Amino acid sequence: MKVSGYQMFWLINISSMIMVSYLPIQLAAREARQDCWISMLLGSLVMLAVTWIMLRICMQHKDKTLVVFIKDLLGTVLGKLVVFVYFLLWFMQMAMIAKGMAEFQSLVMLHNTPMLFVLVCMLFLVAYAVYRGGITAVSRCAEVIGPFFVSVLFAQLFLNPQGMDMKRVLPVYYDSGWYLILKGTFYSMNYLVDPSIILMLFFFAENKRTAARGIMWGTAVAMAWGVITTLVLLFVTGPRMAAEMIVPVYSLTKFVSILNFIQNIDAFFIPLWLLGAFIKLGVGLFILSYGLSQWTGIKNWKLIACLTTVVWLAYLLYSGHEIRLTNTLRSLFLVGGLYPFAYIVLPLLFWLIGSIRQHRKSSGSPS
Amino acid sequence: MKRFFMLLCVLLMVTPCVSGCSDFVEPNQLAFVIGTAVDQVQDGSIEVSLQVVIPSQLQKGNSTNSESFIVISAKGRDVFEASQNIQRKIPRRLMTSHRILIAIGESYFQKNELNLLFDKLARDPSNTLRDVVILIKGGRAKDFLRLKHPMEYVTSLAASKEMNINGLQDFTSRQLVIDSLSQGTRPLVPVFKVEHKTVSSQKKSEGIPVFAGFAVLNKKLKPVGFLNDTECAGASWLAGKGMFQGITMPWKNGKGMLSFRLSRLDRSIRSVRGQDPKQVVLAIKAQAYLLENTASLDMTDMNTVIDVQKYMNAYIRKDLQATVNKVQKSGSDVFGIGEYLHRKHPIWWKRQRDEWDANFKTVQVTVKSDIQLRSVGVIGGELK
Repeated sequence: MKVSGYQMFWLINISSMIMVSYLPIQLAAREARQDCWISMLLGSLVMLAVTWIMLRICMQHKDKTLVVFIKDLLGTVLGKLVVFVYFLLWFMQMAMIAKGMAEFQSLVMLHNTPMLFVLVCMLFLVAYAVYRGGITAVSRCAEVIGPFFVSVLFAQLFLNPQGMDMKRVLPVYYDSGWYLILKGTFYSMNYLVDPSIILMLFFFAENKRTAARGIMWGTAVAMAWGVITTLVLLFVTGPRMAAEMIVPVYSLTKFVSILNFIQNIDAFFIPLWLLGAFIKLGVGLFILSYGLSQWTGIKNWKLIACLTTVVWLAYLLYSGHEIRLTNTLRSLFLVGGLYPFAYIVLPLLFWLIGSIRQHRKSSGSPS
Repeated sequence: MKRFFMLLCVLLMVTPCVSGCSDFVEPNQLAFVIGTAVDQVQDGSIEVSLQVVIPSQLQKGNSTNSESFIVISAKGRDVFEASQNIQRKIPRRLMTSHRILIAIGESYFQKNELNLLFDKLARDPSNTLRDVVILIKGGRAKDFLRLKHPMEYVTSLAASKEMNINGLQDFTSRQLVIDSLSQGTRPLVPVFKVEHKTVSSQKKSEGIPVFAGFAVLNKKLKPVGFLNDTECAGASWLAGKGMFQGITMPWKNGKGMLSFRLSRLDRSIRSVRGQDPKQVVLAIKAQAYLLENTASLDMTDMNTVIDVQKYMNAYIRKDLQATVNKVQKSGSDVFGIGEYLHRKHPIWWKRQRDEWDANFKTVQVTVKSDIQLRSVGVIGGELK
């Protein structure tokens, strides 16, 4: 299974844009009001830096996945424990996106269809793609879906020029101050992008150099989209309304009215978002099951993919009844503990240990 | 082969579910809501009325004999409950995505908090926030919807077209929500009232809705004043919401009139340089075209043209200053001056924002105008 640099770009770009369109804008706007675009910008920069660090780590261990090289770095027991954190993270994200998708569908369109059905359709599709083709199938899909997805998501931002008032982002800084802006960053950056998936994905890259470039560009384009979307949202709705919007990108599409004729273009946005979510979930399921197979030593990762899907579905159905489980995204434990640990502390640690080892190896060997 | 047929069977069975057939509603099962009216009723609940078009009547092209719409009302404790009660009365699913107007009775404004309506507008995804919100003065909003318009097939469409053609922009519910949430702007809501006039020679008209100015809302979204027909054009111009208008003024010597058409309206707010923020200039810009001249002025004479331009500026400035003073007395900052000061002097604003309605009264607002006379029409002097 090999992924080209071009495919890598789309994989990372689509997964990141799905994340951006879902949660972070509201989290930032709640704290920083009209300065939330600064929060998003700062968060994007942090995440780009994190992506860069992750790529450094990957470059140090070109021919190994996260599960394998972590054993070299931290030893078997500790390594396995730490990897489990990432498994948990990926699973949580898959659950979050799938659940968000199903809930949104039943709120907006399918009032009568049971949520189970919406979920089963999506999960089956994802599992099928992963089962039949693994990451190759998912990345081929991403290659086809990507251009449409990205161009439409960019274009629809600018379809509402008569509703925009650029002054709505003013005054910059004075109303919120650094504390609130950084607080917005702190909350939102964790949901901007998931850089940790690279640790698994990079192993499958055909050409490491082009793949690295593709990943950086994919993240950068998605981050740029996030900041622009935040700005456009502020232009169109003003800070106070933006802070209350749970699905901001969807709401933006609903405001579009060109000459009183082109309206209700959310009909285009929703299917595209679903296609994007499919890619995101496909990537998630693949790396999770592949990682699990290496972690447990069971060779047949396809079987694990199927089992994971069943567990995933069960969790989604269970969490549908337990409202508490689904509303933990802002909890301090996650935002202040798990995410920084997984996105910043651990990668830095890996990088450090990896560098020291490399250094030792090169200085220790006679030259 | 056998496997292929098995797969085909499964696929066929799955298709209706996958395509969302369980939720499919045919267009002929939908009731297209064009206008909504909200009224206050005696027992404290609200009455929602929906204007629903009848598509089969629209196709015929003439609405002389049969009604092209129906209005259904029901009471409820909130908008959703009332809408549900309406839904029970009609055989089609209500669809509000194409609504163009929300009419609210005056009594509702007086008794309720308008922001309770916003919740329904913003929370329910079947609303688009693109519809226009108007206030119906001197009557129930329900009656407004029930009227039959002599030209358009529904009154809501007529009202929205009337606003459009008169250059009123930005009175959508989204704008209203934004204005009411921002601390430095108070909303202006267009007012319509029913006028009883004979417009057709054949039968007596039951009245037609006409635009009758604006309601000025305060911080709690209660109307604190009404701007009449003549003031409203200036107010909407000063609030930056546009309005095409023609203006007629008596010439200096009192003999004869001059009429202009104004276009490309623009306005900007600025504070006086080096002064405290409480001195604000509202600068307006427009282009004027002379369209009627009964003052026997020879417009081929350059000096006269300059004189006319100067006089017109002074006249309009005086007119608008009076409007500003009237609005200022009510204490509701519909021009967005507070919002401007918020952006310009953010630190100063923090001390002002909580009491802005009172503080606005003490701001010294000066109107400045820069209206250019672009054309004097197609004849120079008077035809004698």
